[in-house]
This record gives sequence, C-alpha cells and structure tokens, in this order.
Amino acid sequence: MKSIITIKNLKKNFNQKEVLQDISFKINEGDIVALIGPNGCGKTTILNILSKLIESDGGEFKINDFKQHDFSYIFQSYRDSLLPWKNIHENIAFPLKLQKKSNEEIERTISEIKQIFNLKIDLKRYPYELSGGQQQTVSFIRALINKPKILFIDEPFSALDYENNLLIRKCLQEYHLRYKPTVLIITHNIEEATHLANKIVIFSRPPTKIIKIIPNKEPYPRPNSFLKSEGFNKIKDEVLDAFQIGVNL
Amino acid sequence: MKKSVLIGPAIVILIWFLISNLNIVDKFFLPDPISTFKELFSLIFNGTILPDMVLTLERTISAFIIALIIGLPLGLILGSSRKLYESFEFVIDFFRSIPATAMFPLFLLIFGIEDKSKIGVAAFASVLIILFNTAYGVIHAKKSRALAAKLMGASKIQIFRFIYFWESLPQTFIGLRSALSMSLIIIVVTEMFIGTYAGLGRKIIDFQITYNITSLYAVILLTGILGYLINFIFIYTEKKLIHWSGK
Repeated sequence: MKSIITIKNLKKNFNQKEVLQDISFKINEGDIVALIGPNGCGKTTILNILSKLIESDGGEFKINDFKQHDFSYIFQSYRDSLLPWKNIHENIAFPLKLQKKSNEEIERTISEIKQIFNLKIDLKRYPYELSGGQQQTVSFIRALINKPKILFIDEPFSALDYENNLLIRKCLQEYHLRYKPTVLIITHNIEEATHLANKIVIFSRPPTKIIKIIPNKEPYPRPNSFLKSEGFNKIKDEVLDAFQIGVNL
Repeated sequence: MKKSVLIGPAIVILIWFLISNLNIVDKFFLPDPISTFKELFSLIFNGTILPDMVLTLERTISAFIIALIIGLPLGLILGSSRKLYESFEFVIDFFRSIPATAMFPLFLLIFGIEDKSKIGVAAFASVLIILFNTAYGVIHAKKSRALAAKLMGASKIQIFRFIYFWESLPQTFIGLRSALSMSLIIIVVTEMFIGTYAGLGRKIIDFQITYNITSLYAVILLTGILGYLINFIFIYTEKKLIHWSGK
C-alpha cells in the first residue's frame, strides 16, 4: 500500500513545555487511523500541524499530492463550525459552493451522500434548530460532501447517543468503502477506535511518545456483531493495555 | 405585546398626573397628561404637525442612509485588518469624542444654513457609530468558522464575503440602530438652530418662545414616540434578518 502521510520526529512545545516528542509514523492511502491517548497529549495538535493550522517546533511531515479541496477536517467544536445564517442544505453545499460547482452537481452530490447517511433532517431548518447530535451529523456530512481524499475527525461522536453513534460508524464505513479516503480519527473511546480503525496509534502522557501502533486487519464493513467477537475483544484489550502503559508512564 | 410592557408607562403617567394635579410643580410649566395627550392628538389629527414630522423623518433617514453608505464598507475594510484598524483607532476615537453638535457651526460654514448642514452633521456622527461597530464586529468575529472555511479551501475574499461579513452582522446592527437614534437626536437639535422653517425641533423652539407649554410637551412626546417607533421597527427587522443572533 502506498503511504500518503509521513510524519518524522514531530515536536511541539506549549509555554516551554514539551508536548510532542519525536512523533513518527506513516499512514497509508485508504487507512482509517485512530489516535488514542490521555487528555492533553497533543492528538489535536498533530491534526492541526498536519492541516497547517499551527506550526511544529521540529521534525517534518509530508502529505503526498495534497490539495486543499481534497481535504476535510471535522472539528471537535462542531457547533462553531456550522454557519448559523445558512440552512442545513446551504451548510452542506458550502464546500462545493466555494469550489464554484454547478447547482446540478451540488444537488447530485448532496443526494448521493444523503443516501449513505439516510439523513431525515428537514434541510430547510437552521443549525440552531437541531439537537447537538443532529448538528454533529450535519457537520460530518458537510465534511464528506467534497469527497475528500484525506479526512481528519476530532471526537466525531461526542454529541451522539449510542444508537446514532453506531449508525454514523456504519455510514462512515460505507462511505469509506465507496470513496476510499484516508481517515485520521481522534477518539477517547477504545470501542470506537477498535471498531473503525485499521491502525490504532496509542500515545503516552506529555512529553508525548507513541506507545504502540496496533493493526486491526478485520475487513470492512465491520457490522455491529463484530463488537461481540473474540477478535474485537482481543484488539480492544491490547489497546487498553497500551493505553494504561501510556497513562502511567 | 406583553401586558407587563404597559405597567412602566402607566406608572410614569400616573406620577406625572399626580405631580401636575397636586401642584407640586406649577401647572403652567407641567400641564397634566390628559391635556397634553389631547393637544398631541389635535396636533396630529388637524394635520398641523404632520409636515414637521415628515420633514424631520426625511432629514433623519437621509443622514442615516449617507452614514450607512460610507460607514458600512469602511467598517468592513478597517475590521478586516487589525493593523489597519489600529492605525485609524485614534482618529475614530478622537472624532467620536467630539460632541457632534459642536461640529454644527463648521458644517453651517461649509454647507450653508439649509438642510445640507443638518443632514451632514447627523451623518457625520452616525458614520462613526456604524464604522466603529462594524469594524468591531469583524475584528471580534468567531475565528472557528473562518478557520473551517479556510480548510475547505476558501480564498481570503470568500472568507470575508461568506464568513466575516455575516459574523459581524449582529454587532453591525447594534451600530445601525444606535446611528439611527443618533441621527434623529441630532436632526431635532439642529432644527432648533437657525435656517429651519419646519421640523419637530423647530416646533419645540417655537412653542417654547411663545410659551405654548402644552404644545411644547406634546411635540416632545411626539418626538419620543417617533424615536421609539423607529427603534421598534429596526429591532423587528433585525430579529427577522439576523435570526441566528444569540442562538
């Protein structure tokens, strides 16, 4: 598999305190990589450096054939990234509007993605009229509308109840099977990480190091029954062990 | 409208009624509310005050529109760059600190004694209010949405057009509302000076000079009602246009 993101000896300090310490790993094209670690270990910082929102204090990274329009980032603060003056339809269409796509193409793409997500929200409503979970789903769909080759997701399911959480996981897998984006997910939930990722990177407390990279070769789509399987529990336990090492380091 | 809204005005009118009828203040200088309202209705319904009201409104709206045309784009431009705003911050604050009416003699010299000088001085004060609030709105707009748009590949112009302009609207509208009230205040004040044959300010001065105190109160009341109605219409429009504000 061709590598798409290469991170080498990445360093970052905040207020003279070392947060990231020589972080190195590779991500292959089409990977779903989950980043797991204790609070404040710099997971979001890694995504922010890779998306060039902040600069690193050392090391380097490379994203092959990076094009801004082929990239999406779903922020943790989904409420503050939706546009409250636009209705849901306009919000979802916004990335394509920026690319000056025709109305026809926009409508076609929206109905394609809507189908995958089985979206039942009235698209004429405004974000503030939706629940937190619905807003998070909308920001999810908006991020996928431009069919990104690289997708960063920070705490994707924090506002969702368990039922909708499982539903979005299913939709994300369907989307991934169809469009094959490379996905980096930050999550605190070991079950989510084990369910979705084919590679789980576990970080320590700051100064942050990589404790372990655990592969998960289970093929997609992974149905909910996978959550009860022996293979799932084995990987989950391995992640938990590595996580505990990271916390106690 | 909630019934509780009427409690405050009812109490004020009652106090006014008591002060006037118990002769706490000489009735000549404070006529009771009944005769004042009677006078107000007669001024309105026999049509004598309507041309003055229309003229005051015309001047106010002209000043406001001029201020809007100048202040809004300037505010957006200044707000788009913190450095640019900081370069002009002193100038804006300096002119904002000068009472606008102190500029009236200068405007009289430049524009003459007719309407241009009144509208000019009201527009001058309103421009600064609109400019300051618009720039402030842009500068203090939430950065997260602009950041999201940037990551979607939006250009600087697109970020400004699709994000910052909209983010700044609630603050801009605060400025527009204050500017409209300021325009009305300054127009009424300047109408009291030379060169005006009509207008609510002129009428106030005329009734004061002729000691027609009941009519004087009636016109003051009318000016207040006009100011309130303008503000009310503006708030209503603002709620419809900026439906997301505070949500």
